[in-house]
Amino acid sequence: MTLILPTAGVLRSETLKALSVKTWWALAIPVAALALTVNVFGGLFGAAAGGLVDDGVPGILLASLAYALSLAGVFAAVQGVVLASAEFRHRTVSGTYLLGGRGPVLLAKGAVAAGIGAGYALVTAVVGLLAGLLGQGAARLPSVWPLLGVIGSGIAVCALWAVLGVALGTVVVHQAGAVVALLLWVLVIENLVSLVLRSGADSDRAPGVLARITSYLPANAGDIALYDLPARALGGRFGPSIVETLAGVAGPPPGWGALLVLLVWTGAAVALAHVVGERRDIT
Amino acid sequence: MEPDGSGRIRVAGLAKRFGTVEAVRGLSFTVEPGAVTGFLGPNGSGKTTTLRAILGLVQPTSGSALVEGVPYPRLRAPARVVGAVLEAQGVHPARSARRHLQACAAAVGAPDARVEEMLGLVGLTIAADRPAGGFSLGMHQRLALAAALLGDPRILVLDEPGNGLDPQGIAWLREFLRGFARSGRTVLVSSHQLAEIGQTVDRLVVVDAGSCVYQGGLDGLRGRATVRVRCADPAALAEALAARGVLEIDHLPSGELAVAADAVLVGDTALAAGVALYGLAEVRGDLEQMFLRLTGGAV
Repeated sequence: MTLILPTAGVLRSETLKALSVKTWWALAIPVAALALTVNVFGGLFGAAAGGLVDDGVPGILLASLAYALSLAGVFAAVQGVVLASAEFRHRTVSGTYLLGGRGPVLLAKGAVAAGIGAGYALVTAVVGLLAGLLGQGAARLPSVWPLLGVIGSGIAVCALWAVLGVALGTVVVHQAGAVVALLLWVLVIENLVSLVLRSGADSDRAPGVLARITSYLPANAGDIALYDLPARALGGRFGPSIVETLAGVAGPPPGWGALLVLLVWTGAAVALAHVVGERRDIT
Repeated sequence: MEPDGSGRIRVAGLAKRFGTVEAVRGLSFTVEPGAVTGFLGPNGSGKTTTLRAILGLVQPTSGSALVEGVPYPRLRAPARVVGAVLEAQGVHPARSARRHLQACAAAVGAPDARVEEMLGLVGLTIAADRPAGGFSLGMHQRLALAAALLGDPRILVLDEPGNGLDPQGIAWLREFLRGFARSGRTVLVSSHQLAEIGQTVDRLVVVDAGSCVYQGGLDGLRGRATVRVRCADPAALAEALAARGVLEIDHLPSGELAVAADAVLVGDTALAAGVALYGLAEVRGDLEQMFLRLTGGAV
């Protein structure tokens, strides 16, 4: 079973469709609101970090930005789910598949959703930075490269989550069910699984294999990618242990490695969506 | 795979099973260009499943459905070969007709000018910027037809297109489909009512319970005569006719019998059986009767 790349026409078609309904900007509003709230009080984040860091460290804004980007990723994923499952909800999928072909439509939707997800990350970065500077004071402006690094990771994480959403919305075509499944996984199940996996770990010794698995779950991997740079800015060589606390994982890989982990999850989800979507009877 | 450009649809031994339900059983027929072919059968007879199998939306359990010699999913530019108007083919309720068609046109590589042309053709120009959620069923059908025609296809497949159309709309569609076929192209149109497409079609494929029960011209269907009999004892006459090998007998609610046999044979049989006849009328060309007989429905 080969993946056929979408033509420029199918990509344009999916873009027009996505932009002609309200979902994309309706979800951008809470993304911007969260970025504002999270960053305007750097202390809020500092409190969440639980005394790990002292007030006044320049990494705080970087970390609160990473936290806001992590939340934006959830919205990017929801957007992807809605984009894909709307075709089934409104019974437009027959026409879409007839004109575009199943494989090309899946990839085109993924590309469009990734673009919108990246847009959410940019909105978060701009709003979060402005809010952070206003709320936390210009003195704490992070240096350029770590800042660009966090924003770049945010764009990648949000884009990947959006594609994951499209894959999920193609496999689970019931829109409400797919959104609930996504939120349950990201907000509840993955955290519970991580807790269980880390439960036997001894903080004085290197984490075991089970505990290490936590770093390779999709939402955790995205968080590691986001928190890697802020944690280093905050804690220097103790960065990894800060990442462990922030992302709720053990023995995290470096940020780029975590991004690769999320990429693999995304690729697997798209492959599954392709196999399921290709065989499904559209009745 | 390259389509052969013939405009022909060939369904061979098509079968589709959904769980325990056999929707289509070994269906075979051919749809030729230059004519309107009616695809007729009662509700639940497998018409929609067959059309969707032709369009690659449903995977056959066995058999094949080829468009110009190629399975639909392997057509490189499907919209230029087949346009489809499906019963449940929707549009996002928040999207306007124009936006919907522009998105469709982009997918098939048709220019936006073609969108305006098709909006005009189906009479939706005035409503083009309204959200499609407020459209009537008839307007949805027109929009679906406009989308199907964007790629200027050689074949048009329509699933129950009359649903929701007013009499004027049906008359317009009839003329449109006949003109489309006259230009040498192919039309396959399904319906559960012969009356709806009887004036439109040149050929018929009649299905019942997933199998083909008739395939051919309208005249072939008309050619089979029916005799309506009013008599003293319908049951006795039916028995006597059955004894002579006449098995296609319907008991009409009026108390009459509809018999697929020659009037002379029916009269002679009644006389021999001692059943008094009150009326004997040969009905030729009653397509509806034939359709109902073929599909096992009550008259």
